[in-house]
Order: sequence, then C-alpha cells, then structure tokens
Amino acid sequence: MSGAHASSTISAEVRHVESLLEARGLLDPGEIDTRIDEFAAKGSPANGARIVARAWTDPAFAERLLADANAAIRELGLSMAGGIQEQRLKVVANGVGADGTEEHHVVVCTLCSCYPIALLGPSPTWYKSEAYRSRVVRDPRAVLREFGLVLPESVAISVWDASAESRYMVLPRRPDGTDGLSEEQLAGLVTRKGLIGTAAV
Amino acid sequence: MADRFAPGDRVRTRSVDVAGHTRLPGYARGAVGTVVELAGRHPLADVRARGRDAEPHAVYHVRFAAAELFGAGDHSVVVELWEDYLVEERA
Amino acid sequence: MSRINDVGGMSGFAPIVEEPDEPRFHADWEAHVFALNGALIRRGIYNLDEFRDAQERLPVHEYLAASYYERWFAAIRMLLAEKGVATAEELAHG
Repeated sequence: MSGAHASSTISAEVRHVESLLEARGLLDPGEIDTRIDEFAAKGSPANGARIVARAWTDPAFAERLLADANAAIRELGLSMAGGIQEQRLKVVANGVGADGTEEHHVVVCTLCSCYPIALLGPSPTWYKSEAYRSRVVRDPRAVLREFGLVLPESVAISVWDASAESRYMVLPRRPDGTDGLSEEQLAGLVTRKGLIGTAAV
Repeated sequence: MADRFAPGDRVRTRSVDVAGHTRLPGYARGAVGTVVELAGRHPLADVRARGRDAEPHAVYHVRFAAAELFGAGDHSVVVELWEDYLVEERA
Repeated sequence: MSRINDVGGMSGFAPIVEEPDEPRFHADWEAHVFALNGALIRRGIYNLDEFRDAQERLPVHEYLAASYYERWFAAIRMLLAEKGVATAEELAHG
C-alpha cells in the first residue's frame, strides 16, 4: 500500500472525509491546516536536547527534572500540553545509580506507539515498527547492538514500556571531554535516538 | 479511594486473557514485579475504550525481571499498569 | 484473545530499519490524518482509547498490510461510521 498511485488515492479519500465532516459542522474550514502548523511549530527533538543540556549544566535542575519533569520543563518554556491533554512526562537518567551500578534506559511502546509527541514531535518510523516493539522488550542488548550501541555486560538495562498514560524521555550521560562546551553546544550533541535510549547521546 | 500499593510492594499481574482493549501487555500477564512509584490516577483504558467514562484509578510503574517475563535475559522491564491489573503478592 | 497490536516479546517481524533524515510526515495526507484525529477527539466524537481499540479491531490481514497512518485512517472511518456521523458508503466515496 505505497507508491504514488496509492498515495494520491488515499489523499483524495482523506480530503473527502474532511469535506464531509465540514459539511456536517464537525470540522471548521481551515482547522486541519491550522492544527498541522501549530503542531509543527511545537514538538521537536531540539526541545529534548535543550532539556538535556540544561540538566547536564545545572544539577539542581536535573534533580527537579527527575522528580517532576512536567514542572521542570516549564522553566524552559516547554510543556507536555500541546496534544489532546497534558500528559505526564517521566525522565529516566542513564548513569551510575545509588547502588553503584551503571544503568541504561531505553523506551518503547509495545501496545501502540506512545511517545512524548507534544514535546518531541512525531516519533521515527522504526520506533513505531513491530520489529522494534516486539524485540527491544525481550532482547534489548541485541537491539541496541544493531543500533551501534554496544553496552558492557556490567551495565544494567531497563526497558520502559509506555503502556499507560506517562510518556518517557531518557536523560543520556554527559559525554567525557565536554567540560569546555556551552549549554548550546552541549544541546547540539543530543540526538533523538539518545532521548529514546537507542544511542548513548 | 486510597491507593492500594506503595513503592517496594510485590505485585502479581492478572493472568486472564481478556477480550477487548486492555493496556496489560500479553508478555506481562501473570507475572510478579515490584512497584517503583505511583504514576498518577486515570480512568481505566479498558472501560474508556467502550466509550464510557470511569473514575480515575491509580497507575503504577512496575518493574519486572526479564527472566520472570521471558525465562531469560539480564535486563528489567518497567511496565505502567493500572491497579485493576494487580493483586498483592505475598512473599 | 491477545490482539495484533500486542507484539511485545514476539519473534518473526522484519529487521529494524532506520530511515536517515526521516521527515516528520512522509506525505501531506499523513499530517492531515494526524490532525483530523486530534480534532475529532477534542470534539468528543470519540476518545483516544476508542481510537486505539478501533485500530486493534481491524481485520488482522488489513492491519498488517497497512502503513502506520493507513491504520489511523481506517480506524477514523470505522469510528465515524459506528458513531453514526456518516455511513460507511458516504465515508468511502472519495
């Protein structure tokens, strides 16, 4: 079900449903375009990178972020409220935990495709794929290796399945040798995969 | 209604294979895990999926050892579960 | 009675493929379907759990053959028909 022909067919079908709903007073003219523009202006992985860079440079912010991410990101003018309703954001931090074990976190939604979309924009297609969703929960070490992330056996892996109302974001470990970088330069190091946990940063 | 569980509690998930929409993944049915923390209170998705509203119920992050879920693996999986899916597991 | 969406721990799906420089949406209609769903939920035509449930009720062969946003659009049409907003025939004429 792909290709130019199938795409033009489904485009026409979607337009048809929109006009039908407009005719019945269930959509306002132009409403869909407005929503698309608003959404494009809000959600982006750059928001996640800003949050991470602030957490790396401000330990008190990092603490607030891990305790109550929704409140902490408002300090940066960001929110989880861009979608249908404000969702709870839970940030999980890679690194050495209280018991001295190094932990790595990776996020999935095995039942559908839950993701902090209001904050980070649409998730990548691989995140939504059955391939990723079926396997990462069972064999994360192998899946991460396929992404080029080889973790020592001593690193404990936690997989977070977004099966209810929280949305997750990973706070990656700050790379070594970045002491001299500004907050903006640090944000430039952070990738969307780092925020999901399929990359180190 | 008071929350039924607290961090550190051992819980067992429901093992019945329900018909209809649910947010208890199949791989986590009938498994024993540990409550990490409360994740808020929300109407049960199983009920809302039938177009009905429902009272908010407690939702928890629950950590499971991979070996408990799959019989193998050294990682853990944290699943977010409504209290409706959980019963207390006595040691 | 596990449904087709409940794939955690299953084997046999295709390898994980990353798309370099992936766009936010792969076609305009995908963005329209995304926005349309949000508009209908905000208006209370259906809720998010009903929307997930509708996708899960698609015939399994259709579900597996469809792309991500094709599933969304199929679920939207299913719910609009079930809620009596329009008949399946009215919704199908494009």
